[in-house]
Amino acid sequence: MQQQPQPQATPKPKKKIRVPRVVNGVEQMVEIEVDADAGPGWGPNDKHTLLNKRTTRVDGPLKVTGAARYTYDQRLPGMLYGRILRCPHGHARVTKLDTEAASKIPGVKAIVPAPLAEVRFAGGPVAAVAATTPEIAGDALRAIKVTYEVLPHVVHADRAIRPEAPKVVAEENNLQEKGKNGDPQKAEAALATADAIVEAEYISPRIHHACLETHGMVVDYRGGDSATIYASTQGIFTIPGDAAKELGLEESKVVSSVEHMGGGFGSKFGIGTEGMLACRLSKQTKSPVKLMLTRYDEFVMAGNRSGSWQKLKAGVKNDGTIVALTARQYRLGGVGQGSQAGQPYIYRMGDAYREVYALHTNEDSAIAMRAPGHPQASFAVESLVDELAYKIKMDPVAFRKKNLRDEVYHRQLDRGAKEIGWSRRNPVAGGNPGPLKRGMGCAIGTWGGGGNNQCKTDVTISRDGSVVVALGTQDLGTGTRTYTRAIVAEELGLGINDVKEQIGNSKLGAANPSGGSTTAPSVAPSVKDAAIKARMLLAERVAPLLGNAKPEEIVFSGGNVSANGKSVAWKQAAASLPAAGIAAHGEWRADLQARGVHGVCFAEVEVDVETGHIKPIKMVHVQDCGLPLNRLAMESQINGGMIQSLGMALWEGRVMDAQLGMQLNSGLGDYKMPGSLEMPEMVPLIDDEDKREAVIGMSEGCIIPAVGALVNAVFNATGLRVRELPITPDKILMGLMNATKVSTAE
Amino acid sequence: MTKSRDDEKQVRDPGRRKFLKGVGIAGAGAAIADHLWIETAAEGKDAIPESLSGTVKVALNVNGQMRDVQVEPRTTLLNALRNHLEPAVTGPKLVCDMGTCGACTVLLDGKPVYSCLVLAVDATSKQITTVEGLGSPENPNTVQAAFVEHDASMCGFCTPGFVTTISAYLKKNPNPSLAEVREACKGNFCRCGTYPKVFEAALAAAKGSQA
Repeated sequence: MQQQPQPQATPKPKKKIRVPRVVNGVEQMVEIEVDADAGPGWGPNDKHTLLNKRTTRVDGPLKVTGAARYTYDQRLPGMLYGRILRCPHGHARVTKLDTEAASKIPGVKAIVPAPLAEVRFAGGPVAAVAATTPEIAGDALRAIKVTYEVLPHVVHADRAIRPEAPKVVAEENNLQEKGKNGDPQKAEAALATADAIVEAEYISPRIHHACLETHGMVVDYRGGDSATIYASTQGIFTIPGDAAKELGLEESKVVSSVEHMGGGFGSKFGIGTEGMLACRLSKQTKSPVKLMLTRYDEFVMAGNRSGSWQKLKAGVKNDGTIVALTARQYRLGGVGQGSQAGQPYIYRMGDAYREVYALHTNEDSAIAMRAPGHPQASFAVESLVDELAYKIKMDPVAFRKKNLRDEVYHRQLDRGAKEIGWSRRNPVAGGNPGPLKRGMGCAIGTWGGGGNNQCKTDVTISRDGSVVVALGTQDLGTGTRTYTRAIVAEELGLGINDVKEQIGNSKLGAANPSGGSTTAPSVAPSVKDAAIKARMLLAERVAPLLGNAKPEEIVFSGGNVSANGKSVAWKQAAASLPAAGIAAHGEWRADLQARGVHGVCFAEVEVDVETGHIKPIKMVHVQDCGLPLNRLAMESQINGGMIQSLGMALWEGRVMDAQLGMQLNSGLGDYKMPGSLEMPEMVPLIDDEDKREAVIGMSEGCIIPAVGALVNAVFNATGLRVRELPITPDKILMGLMNATKVSTAE
Repeated sequence: MTKSRDDEKQVRDPGRRKFLKGVGIAGAGAAIADHLWIETAAEGKDAIPESLSGTVKVALNVNGQMRDVQVEPRTTLLNALRNHLEPAVTGPKLVCDMGTCGACTVLLDGKPVYSCLVLAVDATSKQITTVEGLGSPENPNTVQAAFVEHDASMCGFCTPGFVTTISAYLKKNPNPSLAEVREACKGNFCRCGTYPKVFEAALAAAKGSQA
């Protein structure tokens, strides 16, 4: 795309601004340098015409009518269907792969072995087939004869930590130290000065992303020197390099594309083993191959959220000051490293000391999932903080404020408390009469959400007035398409349907992968920069029609271009352009984004102490994000964060069989996700007290605190502290029964 | 999988809970059984399964059009729509392929069914309506329009199932309560977390079509 010459200035003077940054879960202010005259900014958050409004998403009509084309919907002429054969053992070596019978089945076109002969978890890939229909591919899998050397396995953390446990990786300890932080002697000394101590273990199981569109891709290679990859991916530019390697092509000859994608939540970067196998099948058959994981595959080999096991001990003064913490944190990442934010997470806890370990088991590797490592750390520390508050008989909201320096949390806690009706809460845990007991809890969360310099945007204005904004980003369902359009339309004074967006293809300008809530703060500044430049270029052209007004004085508003009391309609303005129209190129600008978001969640639950059943009644989440690009989409993101946390708190968790080494709940029928019947009243609130005129990613921030809020609500309702997730009815009933025994014995 | 699907094909009610009752022990056992079955088959003497090949011509009435398609008798309606019809009908999504999620919901003679649990050969002589048959981007039905208006889709992969289920339900019950809407979509899963907006959209669509 041709770029118009831009006036190039000599190096610009800089100005220093202070921005919050989150390091290891702890937020601090740092100074960064930006251009002093970095160009027009976003302006006040309440002065926008399209941004910060409730805008329906531009791809909505396609999605609600089945017209949106997903990777899974691709069907190319001569396309074959791939399937993966999985190892049924927790740990095994493939000694023989007999594919003779399978390859004789009519319709079977290729069978390739998986890259590794040693499989370290049940469900690991052994081979892949390509056939003319998915049904025949399934027949082929059943006809492959595999001989395994079965090795001992261990799938539970409490067994894997024992010295005599089978080794997940030969010659390596299952327990690997990952770091220590702080001074243990100082922490112990400070604990000795505390008025009250809480010492407890918190456990959270591995959680599945359960993207409704499974992982996979369509590899369109038919021989020759180029290929197109239709991938269900969060990172279009993470695909071509690896695919080219597998196909033996030059990277520049491989294009990747994703128009719409059915959920990722952190799990879809790179081509993965399934992509590797799809490429090999396509290369061998010189035919397009579609390999989408089955739902079973998705559970056993597509990654998961790291489990956690945390041993915490904290001391508090009677005035509510937490004076010390010692923490032993195990990341339960299966064959992978796992993740867990360091304790004491967001809180100030005086002298804090922590040790972090990875504890391996024979399970599929944990991978990134929405706010990797944070909900686990938050669940444990928010439980601990709650326990400390009850122990010294202090209100949990007041107690949190006492140990949080950042004023933003104070105002958000006040707002959340008001919205949930905190004053209705019985301060005595389990104090409400009758078998249906209600209770409330709260918790807080943080995230970075800053952008980075990877996005290259092109905005073109044609002589017929049409406007296109293009860059190779992807819309995961977060609303990227919509705000990309809205930013340009607002800058040019147009309606959202006057601009078309082109995204989802690696032939377009570079864009960052969508991880860590970095998409909006990376994409939006680059789009804004391109839009401003396009406006200025058009202004120069239109100036003669408007009494030779200065370009910067020309107003673009309501579909008109005006200055000096004169006005021309948009179409007329565009008609003044040369035949080639205008092409403006935008780069990322640090001053249009920032880092550091805050969120608080409040939950109310009703626990039936006769059945152990927990009914979520109401959830409130207050979230800041600088400039809200689209309030409607942001509400949906906040709801999504609360609902996914609801699953983690009450129902979800990978269940493993020790003997077989297999996952027992590997389908949507038995891995319990939140459904329509369990939805509480949900109140997603945008914190408009945040006046930062900057885009900050918020999607991860809003999944963090809800688990803590829910477990604390269960405690407030019942007086029972459940420290292992999910809080299923059996844990409530066993806990209440044991508590009764203890009090009887006393 | 094919075997269990055959056992389940009689279950036509999209309600997930009713469905689970119908099959008795689902859950833990099924996951293992699948594996054990694969192993047994693979270790048998004649590993080539008895020939399942051979196709039949099936005439399907899809969104008001008669469409001929050549499929194996074991091919599900969902796979016939997505993988065999030319051009393909890909509104109904393949998500679980075992009747647990609702993303593949279509209407058979106006009644919602999981199309992954219906064989294509069993769908002849029935009117099949998919989400594409309910409306188009230019001319959506009231439920589809309300879904856009209320932001009831995020990634959108569950959306065709919800739209189809709710469109059918509102015909049966044009003025539902919130509790009835929740009950109506208990057989559909969403992972992004659109439920609150889905409920809003369904209630708004009901109001809109009465106005």
